[in-house]
Amino acid sequence: MLHSLDQILTAIYFWGFASAAVLCAFGILFGRHPLNAAICLIGTMLSLAGIYALLASPFLAVLQVLVYAGAVMMLVLFVIMVLNQARDHVLPRFDKLSLIGAALPVLIGVLAVATVRHDHAALTSSATAVRAGVEPVATALFAPTKGYYLLFELVGVLLLVAVVGAVLLAKRRLDADPGTTDHPAGDAANGSVAQAGQNGKDAHHGH
Amino acid sequence: MDCCLTWASAHLAQIVAILLPITMPLIVFQLLPLVVVMERRGAAFIQDRIGPHRAGLHLQLSSVKGVFTGEAGGLRLRAFGLIYNLTDIVKGLFKEDFVPPFANKPWYLIAPIIPVVIGILATAVLPWFAPFTTAYGQTVSGQIFAPEVGLLLLFALSSLSVYGIVLGSWASNSKYSLLGGMRASAMLISYEVSMGLAILGMLLIVGSFSLTDVVEWQANHTWGIVVQPVGFLLFLVSMFAETCRTPFDVTEGDSEIVGGFHTEYAGIRFMLFMSGEYFHILVASTLIATLFLGGYQLLPVPGFGTAWLKANLPLVVCGFTTITAIGLFVAVKLILGRRAHWAKRNSTDTALRVREYSFYATVLSLAAVGALALGIAVAALWHPQPVSGTIAAGTAIWPNSVNIVTAILQIHILLGKALLLAGLFVWVRWTVPRFRYDQIMGLGWKVMLNVALVNLVLTAVIAKLVKGG
Repeated sequence: MLHSLDQILTAIYFWGFASAAVLCAFGILFGRHPLNAAICLIGTMLSLAGIYALLASPFLAVLQVLVYAGAVMMLVLFVIMVLNQARDHVLPRFDKLSLIGAALPVLIGVLAVATVRHDHAALTSSATAVRAGVEPVATALFAPTKGYYLLFELVGVLLLVAVVGAVLLAKRRLDADPGTTDHPAGDAANGSVAQAGQNGKDAHHGH
Repeated sequence: MDCCLTWASAHLAQIVAILLPITMPLIVFQLLPLVVVMERRGAAFIQDRIGPHRAGLHLQLSSVKGVFTGEAGGLRLRAFGLIYNLTDIVKGLFKEDFVPPFANKPWYLIAPIIPVVIGILATAVLPWFAPFTTAYGQTVSGQIFAPEVGLLLLFALSSLSVYGIVLGSWASNSKYSLLGGMRASAMLISYEVSMGLAILGMLLIVGSFSLTDVVEWQANHTWGIVVQPVGFLLFLVSMFAETCRTPFDVTEGDSEIVGGFHTEYAGIRFMLFMSGEYFHILVASTLIATLFLGGYQLLPVPGFGTAWLKANLPLVVCGFTTITAIGLFVAVKLILGRRAHWAKRNSTDTALRVREYSFYATVLSLAAVGALALGIAVAALWHPQPVSGTIAAGTAIWPNSVNIVTAILQIHILLGKALLLAGLFVWVRWTVPRFRYDQIMGLGWKVMLNVALVNLVLTAVIAKLVKGG
């Protein structure tokens, strides 16, 4: 099946990225420390970005890194500032909820295999055709005939509403606490960092 | 010999494709000690101190003992503070690789590597010279990796570099480190927003994410700083924040949180963090030069692009060598002044100093004469032939060598601009005091974000009016 150097390299890269993605996914599942799980999540995201790049979708690949790396950064910060490592060491790896979690990937896997078997031709890629590059994405999103740009703008407004809502909720809590009102927001953030426990030394803080 | 040249000429694209990924990160790495010396001497100059002047190589060819003791009669080379880099490396390598108790060992050990790796990867996307077509019809790209999403890839890499700081600070298990890491994460994420928006105006005008396209547009029109002065300023400030340099160095604010995220680090891992920072500065300077200062283009005037460079190569090479020679002669004059100054004083190491300065003067004079000779040789041996000539017996070597010399010149132009900007980083560091945390957040979200948005909208309107369509 492998005819040229390109194909051989593509196969090597694909299997490298794919196995890295799966290994990191298992790391998320079985890692007990939430921070390790978060870093494994980044590993999965980066491997997926590599696979997107192999699928001739550079824009998608870069967005995968840009967006998800930032998002997982937030997760890491939550882990550092909110979660308590000492307690998580005691928690069991699996509970009853895990069963639902296990059923979902099986379902998706079955669907994926069924799709591949059903319509094999649609999945063959050509090396020259760029799928999710800058141009195709831009035309798909912003072509006046398709009208997706309206949806795009609506999603933007939705996100703005979410941000305003979050600020409102946070501000109400800040106002309720007399200690933080006369300080700049930055100082409040600093103070909460100082109290964030890590490595179980501040197990009694209770967040 | 002849067939070797012909073979190399025919496979130029492959040779460059192999050489470029090896040489460019190494070249940028080679500049790290230079930037460190610039920083130390710049600090000394601004604070009216002498600066690094002690560490030196003691050479005494007559006895091995003298190499280490530096007895009178030997030659001491301090190389204007460059030797300190050598001693730093030796110290870093031989210090114990200590992991503090209760630290998270794996992440503590891995974290300092991340910024350096990101810095090395970033050199792959930057365009170092103009792409050219060889006489055999191969296209050689000036980027190691030239995706159409070039700039976005750089931003993606830069968003990953936060992890080194945050992981290192968290894994150190120290309050000061954690505070520094949290400040870094908040600041870097905030300033990434205005960094992205600051650049959008330029990208809108150019109409491409590709960095080579940005530079080519600047070659055909004018430098980005002229059309996007506000964007340049915003991007410059964001870059100071992204590299965690003063006035944005709350991450390691030594007067408040000891050393910030690298408080617990010592030895080679601390030096990895430091070299990561300087690498980041060099990459940021190169990026600013690429986006707003014409990249590898010599002049901010249209018509003086790569084609002009190739057509007037001997003139440009002679100009470069002449300027280099003049600079070296000025340096020699200054050094001779220092020698005269020390020769008058009757200190214990007068002889040592006079010998040292004489050595520098000799070496630099020889280099200046060499540069002049190179320029004269180029002018004398220049024999114009068409750059895009057809391939006859062996003549393809000529256009290819024109291309190669142009590429090397352009790398020098770009790195020269980058070093000047790195000098700006140093200048600002020792001039502007550190911002408070809330001032940084206020500047990022209340000022820069809004200015960037207004700039973007205005640029979009003007671009629409000018370009039409």
